[in-house]
Amino acid sequence: MGSRPGGRGKRRLQCWAVTAGLLLLGCALSGALLALDHTGGFVSMIFVLVVVLVARLTDGYAYGAAASFVGVVCVNYIFTYPYWEFNFTISGYPLTFFTMLSVSLIVSALTSQIKRQEQLRVETDRETMRANLLRAVSHDLRTPLTSIVGSASAILENDALLPPQQKTALLRNVRSEAQWLIRMVENLLSITRMGDGTARLSKELEAAEEVLSSVAGKFQQRFPGIQLTLTAPREALFVPMDAILIEQVLMNLLENAAAHGQSSAILLSAERQSAGAVFTVRDNGLGIPEEILPEIFSPALPGKLHAGDDRRNMGIGLSVCSSIVKAHGGSMSACNVREGGAMFRFTLPLEESEEVLS
Amino acid sequence: MKIRDRVLIVEDEQSISSFIAAVLEANGYDALTARTGSEAVSAITSHCPDVILLDLGLPDMDGMGILKFVREWSTCPIVVVSAREHERDKVEALDAGADDYIVKPFGTSELLARIRTAIRHTRTPLPNSDIAQSGQFRAKGLVIDYDKHQVLVDGENARLTQNEYKLVSLLGKHAGRVLTYDFIIRQLWGPGAKSDNQILRVNMANIRRKIEKNPAQPEYIFTEIGVGYRMVDPD
Repeated sequence: MGSRPGGRGKRRLQCWAVTAGLLLLGCALSGALLALDHTGGFVSMIFVLVVVLVARLTDGYAYGAAASFVGVVCVNYIFTYPYWEFNFTISGYPLTFFTMLSVSLIVSALTSQIKRQEQLRVETDRETMRANLLRAVSHDLRTPLTSIVGSASAILENDALLPPQQKTALLRNVRSEAQWLIRMVENLLSITRMGDGTARLSKELEAAEEVLSSVAGKFQQRFPGIQLTLTAPREALFVPMDAILIEQVLMNLLENAAAHGQSSAILLSAERQSAGAVFTVRDNGLGIPEEILPEIFSPALPGKLHAGDDRRNMGIGLSVCSSIVKAHGGSMSACNVREGGAMFRFTLPLEESEEVLS
Repeated sequence: MKIRDRVLIVEDEQSISSFIAAVLEANGYDALTARTGSEAVSAITSHCPDVILLDLGLPDMDGMGILKFVREWSTCPIVVVSAREHERDKVEALDAGADDYIVKPFGTSELLARIRTAIRHTRTPLPNSDIAQSGQFRAKGLVIDYDKHQVLVDGENARLTQNEYKLVSLLGKHAGRVLTYDFIIRQLWGPGAKSDNQILRVNMANIRRKIEKNPAQPEYIFTEIGVGYRMVDPD
């Protein structure tokens, strides 16, 4: 939060520090060895090593090039005869300089190439996830919209013909489909909110029981028939999180339990464990079909569930859930309980990450 | 003819404002609508509504501008309507003098409840008249005894510390309304206090463990996450 622009300057300072530190180390090492052995043939090798390390540990070409320049000057000025004097007539001098410079440039190039590829891979992954979600979502949006338009026109066009119960049923249908759409849009908003990874999460310390009760309140409004039991941590437990997103994770889990698991009772709890704050949603419903359990958090799941069943949103909801938890530096798991029903559980780390503190 | 409370709906989306108007008319209110900030300002000055329902996202001017404009000369209750992606705005609105807020999408029962509360608060002169008469706030099993400076739960003393008592008694005086963290901190520790709400939250976590049966399902003090706390309405 606000640490981004400062972060870049800090990184640059860090790179210069690494460069200077390694060069000093090289000088010290050469100096020490030179006291033992006056031939000094190893000095160039030490500085080549320094240059390689600098190029590997810093960003871009500048530091490596600077290090090779300083290295060549040092080798010439301090460590070769005549000591503490420049001597450009040494044979092979241009070769030494050329070697060090090209080593530094090649290593820098390789390093930045690897870093760029890594970044590209992450971006591609994120893009794929977004594309999958979008595809699944746009498919999923059409169904409730069709149903809403259909029900509404049925009422408008056949007002006199329809008995009142049927009209009420149609209207109920419109309402529940619309509510489903709202939840879907909220999931999409979360994805855009997470945008560039962890950088945009606005984490704050929240009391675990407050988050639980807030979610419970919203959930009971939508599903008043389900018995929801909450367990608060025994001691006050403050967890760094983006409350809107974590509420949504819990909400998705509760809704899955209610809508897809057909549960009548749900247990929602938070407790402190050594790994962090553990949130658990446990229901007494149908449980999770074994065949989808291994890939339950995968964004590809909704596509596989489409054979006209009522499981739409489950996969999207769950893959959003697990991305949100991952963005918090936590982890999420799902299993079936022996007594029947499913249990979802996720852990959020309690320490503020370095990024938030800086 | 029966005189009805008049509600001004400031909302740029026609479909939303007409649905709200229909619900309000059906429940015994007079509904006025304004679709832009300038329409809202002229409606407020000419009709003096009993409640204003204000959407913060308007096409021509910032909803906060209207809020501040009204607060310069009127205490007319204002309920702010905010969308989920503008979560932080509602805190700012409450601190600028809004009486309550409601988040889109909302149900009709929630909307009516907020409007009823807002109107009731204008009738009881500051902040909660029962307390002035009996010296006590009562809601279900909770009693705040302002004379003896103690809080009883089902007849038992909850043994709150001084800070905890101050917090509960402040919420009791404004029961039914959301008090923002900043407001509470200013009231409890003075205007110079640092607006770090962590101390407040720790206090609240401890209070919950003293007065609520299940701290995760509070009966008396509710948290509006990211905003503040709300005490349940008195009996």
